[in-house]
Amino acid sequence: MSHYEAPIREPLIFGDKSYHDISVDVAAPVEGKANKLWWIAFSIALTAFLLGLGAISYTIGVGIGVWGLNNRINWAWDITNFVWWVGIGHAGTLISAVLLLFRQKWRMGINRSAEAMTIFAVFQAGLFPIIHMGRVWNAFYVLPLPNALGSLWVNFNSPLLWDVFAISTYLSVSLVFWYTGLLPDFAMLRDRAVKPFQKQIYGLLSFGWSGRLKDWQRFEEVSLVLAGLATPLVLSVHTIVSMDFATSIIPGWHSTIFPPYFVAGAIFSGFAMVQTLLLIMRKVSHLEAYITKIHIENMNKVIIVTGGIVSVAYMTEFFVGWYSGSSYEDYTYLSVGAATGPYWWAFWSLITCNFIFPLTLWFKKARTNLIWSFILSIIINIGMWFERFDIIVIDLSRGHLPSSWTMFSPTFVDVSIFIGTIGFFFVLFLLYARTFPVIAQAELKSILKSSGENYKNLRKENHE
Amino acid sequence: MASNKKYWRSVEELKSDNSLVEHLGQKEFLEEIPTETFLGAKENLSNSSTSRRDFLKYVGFTTVAASLAACEGPVLKTIPYVVKPENIIPGVANFYASSMSDGDGFANILVKVREGRPIKIEPNKMAGNWGASSARVQASVLSLYDNNRLRGPLADGKETDWSSLDKKAIDTLNTLKANNEKIVVLSGSTASPTSKKVIAEFAQSFGNVQHVVYDALSESPALDAFETMYGQRALPNYKFENAKLIVSIGADFLGDWQGGQYSAAYAKGRIPVKGNMSKHLQIESNLSLSGANADLRIPVKPSEQIFALINLYNAVTGSNFASKPTPADAAIKKIAIQLKKAGSQAVVITGIQNKEAQILANALNEALQSEVYDLTAPRLIKAGNDVAVKNLVDEMAAGKIGALLIYNANPSYSLPNASVFNEALKKVKFLVCFSMSDDETAQKSQFVAATPHYLESWGDTQFQAAKFGLMQPTINPLFNTRQFEESLLTWMGQNKTYYQALRDYWTTSILNGSSWNQALHDGVFNGNNELKLTKNSIDVATSAAALLSQTKSGDFELNLYAKISMGDGKQANNPWLQELPDPITRTSWDNYITISAADAKKLGLENFNVSNGALNGSKVNLKVKEVVLNEVPVYIQPGQANGSIGLALGYGRSAGMQTEMMTGLNAFALLQDFNPFQTVSVEKVAGIHEFACVQLQHTIMGRDEIIKETTLDDFINKPKNEWNKTPEFSLNHEEVSAERVDLWEKFDDTVGPHFNLSIDLATCTGCAACIVACHAENNVPVVGKREIRVSRDMHWLRIDRYYTSDMTNEKAKEEGIFGTGEMFNTMTIPSENPQVAFQPVMCQHCNHAPCETVCPVAATSHSRQGQNHMAYNRCIGTRYCANNCPYKVRRFNWFKYANNNEFDFNMNNDLGKMVLNPDVVVRSRGVMEKCTMCLQKTQLSILTAKKEGRPVKDEEFQTACSSACPTGAMVFGDVNDKQSEVALITEDERAFHLLAEVGTKPNVFYHLKVRNTEAS
Repeated sequence: MSHYEAPIREPLIFGDKSYHDISVDVAAPVEGKANKLWWIAFSIALTAFLLGLGAISYTIGVGIGVWGLNNRINWAWDITNFVWWVGIGHAGTLISAVLLLFRQKWRMGINRSAEAMTIFAVFQAGLFPIIHMGRVWNAFYVLPLPNALGSLWVNFNSPLLWDVFAISTYLSVSLVFWYTGLLPDFAMLRDRAVKPFQKQIYGLLSFGWSGRLKDWQRFEEVSLVLAGLATPLVLSVHTIVSMDFATSIIPGWHSTIFPPYFVAGAIFSGFAMVQTLLLIMRKVSHLEAYITKIHIENMNKVIIVTGGIVSVAYMTEFFVGWYSGSSYEDYTYLSVGAATGPYWWAFWSLITCNFIFPLTLWFKKARTNLIWSFILSIIINIGMWFERFDIIVIDLSRGHLPSSWTMFSPTFVDVSIFIGTIGFFFVLFLLYARTFPVIAQAELKSILKSSGENYKNLRKENHE
Repeated sequence: MASNKKYWRSVEELKSDNSLVEHLGQKEFLEEIPTETFLGAKENLSNSSTSRRDFLKYVGFTTVAASLAACEGPVLKTIPYVVKPENIIPGVANFYASSMSDGDGFANILVKVREGRPIKIEPNKMAGNWGASSARVQASVLSLYDNNRLRGPLADGKETDWSSLDKKAIDTLNTLKANNEKIVVLSGSTASPTSKKVIAEFAQSFGNVQHVVYDALSESPALDAFETMYGQRALPNYKFENAKLIVSIGADFLGDWQGGQYSAAYAKGRIPVKGNMSKHLQIESNLSLSGANADLRIPVKPSEQIFALINLYNAVTGSNFASKPTPADAAIKKIAIQLKKAGSQAVVITGIQNKEAQILANALNEALQSEVYDLTAPRLIKAGNDVAVKNLVDEMAAGKIGALLIYNANPSYSLPNASVFNEALKKVKFLVCFSMSDDETAQKSQFVAATPHYLESWGDTQFQAAKFGLMQPTINPLFNTRQFEESLLTWMGQNKTYYQALRDYWTTSILNGSSWNQALHDGVFNGNNELKLTKNSIDVATSAAALLSQTKSGDFELNLYAKISMGDGKQANNPWLQELPDPITRTSWDNYITISAADAKKLGLENFNVSNGALNGSKVNLKVKEVVLNEVPVYIQPGQANGSIGLALGYGRSAGMQTEMMTGLNAFALLQDFNPFQTVSVEKVAGIHEFACVQLQHTIMGRDEIIKETTLDDFINKPKNEWNKTPEFSLNHEEVSAERVDLWEKFDDTVGPHFNLSIDLATCTGCAACIVACHAENNVPVVGKREIRVSRDMHWLRIDRYYTSDMTNEKAKEEGIFGTGEMFNTMTIPSENPQVAFQPVMCQHCNHAPCETVCPVAATSHSRQGQNHMAYNRCIGTRYCANNCPYKVRRFNWFKYANNNEFDFNMNNDLGKMVLNPDVVVRSRGVMEKCTMCLQKTQLSILTAKKEGRPVKDEEFQTACSSACPTGAMVFGDVNDKQSEVALITEDERAFHLLAEVGTKPNVFYHLKVRNTEAS
């Protein structure tokens, strides 16, 4: 029997659900046939992915010159996309690890998909630092491998090298954590499977889960340990990504506030992306009973908090740059120069999307309005993309020496690669939605009797 | 069928009962293979150091080795010398003294030759001011390897051979001689005494022969004026180093004025050693290089330049010649007072292409008794005669010319009335064009006699009466070419080579018993020849009146000029020069009209930046008299006089060229009567031109510490802290010099050399010779207009040019708009007549380099010698280093720039590749590159000294830029050698580091600019 939950708390599982119902609902998308909508979505995503693949091959074949970069602005969409995707990849681990430690039961409805999203987003993110290299074929130079190239070793002073470790660690821990959680659910699918092939596959994937008490005990322990391991990673990854900028000496980049501000921004954008995906998924996969308004509202609350942190960071950046009195700060991405200069549109996109629109979430009506939540989640993701674009492009376009000021304009290839990663992301996510248990049903079952609507009502009727 | 052959293993087998044979029959090996002992001893095996893992390694290694052996690398063919030529040691450069004198560049030079290939031009220090090598002289080595050069002589556009050409020429010339028909040699200035002598002999031999000298950029009026005044066709020499006050009315003497080569002398007077600095005033229409360096610049229209000259003459001499008022009159009164005060240390020069104006200027200098105006050694470099050229065209049109031999000139392209000339050409019976390429004139000629490049030729120069120079071949002729003079010698039946003629002439007339070999070795020879001047009396009043009557004003007046890079267009097929940004507009691959912002507004013309920052501009049609030039791009130029427009000559070449280099428009058609001043009508037309401009922000945006400057007055009278304050930071609650605040531990750099480069902003004129020198030395790729346009220029060294703005931090504070968008936006707009500052920027070789810490693979790191290195092989191209470079000097190989048809420049053909410096690697796609402080040169100096067991001499350490700098503004050397020049000037009060407050501790430092702006 699960724990006691106060009756005034709103239920986390709607409808008259039994344990079996949960199994059936979660297994439905896997066992059923894909509908037309799925096929349409998948074809679009796959096309986008192939376009991106083509653009990447073209880049590698001809040279980075096919992008819009120049000798003053040496990064633009590549690293913008990298940071954006890494940021998005923050929500999953936060939801599953940090909320686990804080015993937030509402995470159970969403953690599986959030984590899947994390992993798929980190895949996209990891792509950019590799393909942005002028000589991709030598990418392995960044690994500290013993080599026959003399005394050559990697440069541990370089934040770009820290990225290599940070991202790969984050990806591997997230992957393990996610997979651990999947074991009982795979076992459930295996047990329900009727086709021998499916049974075999899920049997393999579930690592022989037998549902013994010992299994559950170990499962709980590992989850806790992994949550403990993953929690600092939530903070470390984006801290290190922010150091790519913060440790440099470029006006606008050279800023001590970056690590916490980037982490907050990452969670902000990550939650927005989870919001986007879940709002679609609950509709498409008929999971309204499990991903409820409460979930959406809770996530909106996280968005307000992190968005607030980000907004305060913007103001601080703006103020400190102005207060420094240094003319080199006149055109940083948060400055009067940026607001009135040639990149005014990028500046104001950032302010509008990340500061002004999220303020609506202070109202409960807006917070619980699913359509607005969906629109806002997309606005925030656009805004967060602009934040990274502004940091990189505006700051580089207005460096120390005015003689080197220039601007950046993306080429078809830049755009195609970005679209390609979005396509790749959705290809992975759509495949996942059809083959994986998209809700951590084993965990969810543990709160059915405490937080399920019918049980709550039963208790209410019985005045328990 | 089974074989019956029997193979014997040894003689022992003959004896059938031998035990050994029996033994061998059963066992394959004589001795037992100790398999059992080996594998049986389990203990041994398990103790063996060869573990299972080792075994796997061995298997792996042998498999990989075996498969690798099957691969084949690319085969590079090198051909060794079977018989090593004398004086050529592979890997060791030879230097030969030579001279360039093609009418577009005059210099005595050294040619660096590697394995028989000339690869670099160096200045010849023995030649004094004539040894300075301009951008065009530096670039001329690439013109040797021009892929569009003629491979041999042509007859009617088809290949022919010399003997048939000779036969035809001799026959025709003799027939013409018999009929006493006129033969004309039309040549550009070469300043070559032997060439002149050969032409004279040719004239003698064929009777009715005229030699017409034609310069596309003519100095004919100045020559005429000098001839009238002094009886000799020469140009006065100016000793700018002695000047206290230089007043230039439209003379771009730091550019091409009167053949150039004045910057070294000028710079000597511009080093502000305690009040000892010349003052330079410029009255002009276009913002020229000289105007950009002036202490005071007054923009006036071209016609007003002429009035200003008369007004100045009046004001100085007290004459009262008729003139017209100009906007500069108030200033002219003050200038006149200063001129009189400076007296013999003042000089007035003018670039007005009018004989009377030149007479006026010369008379003014005489009146001032100017010591700068040097009549003791006039210049003989430019000899073009406009009148003779005009007459020739008339005679040709009248069918009076029997034969025309054109050498070192391209009149079909560069004559203002080229179409008339081209028509007239058809009436010439025998037409030979001596040319290196199938250019506009060659294409219209019956015969084209392919000539060699000057680096393949013998020759000589006489820049001043006593200043001789020699030109010697530095490579065997690449193609089937023959020198012009040699053709003449052949045709007149003299059975000797030009070399023999040259040597004979030198021995008899020049050397005076000195050694030929020594002269050839030095490249220069100081004779004691003198030009006898007769002083004729002149009537200045008549000149002034004539000048006034010849001057027409208009709403718009055109001032044609020549660019530092392109000159008269001779080297238009040279990609280094095409890509060289103009020092003022910083635009390459184009010519365009320059127009003031006010006029542009009036006409509705605009310049704007598109989304990738690149510059676009409107287009206009220009009309001078009946000649129309369509769709000329418009560049809005601060400092351009209102009512005037500038346009560069030398562009719009269309024959004998690679398509990529056919840039711009031919403005020679507008040079009517050889006069660069024309009244013009301007009409806006639809369409947008795309510029390749590398500097898109022209003002310094209140960041005055980037280019520090002060006035001479402050420099002398005020303490250093007021005009060159070192930035300070607070450390432990105490203000200390920014250089002392440091995150890093100091690295011991006192062992061995530690290199520093000093750049004096007071003497840097922005002439761009360093850029081309660097281009040549370091195999910098040419990337073409498309890439330059999007800020992907590859120059390792650039010269930033800043204009002052009307809006300053102080003014904004007064107006209460400090820190607002309004201030920023107005700050980006240059003043109407701005002050200009140049700043060469290359890798600063920071001792605490931001690029070095951020490279994930340590591909860029510091050397003990202070140089910041790039290991191209290690670079993976993350470009983080370039982002983190505050000076933005790093250059990325966005594409493969060599062997790529998309970049069809000199690195894409075998001929063009011959110019590559074998000591410097050609970078591949995807790697970062940047200035190395000519690492290959410093290492060579160190190793040479080491081999010879001596310390390196200070002057041995040179970078390409420092050695090419004609003004000595760049000084390179070892600061650990406390006696070196560079070490001595590090302590100079004017020294500062660029962006010192960032704490990068650069090894390049600057000396601040001093402006002599006080009215004294």
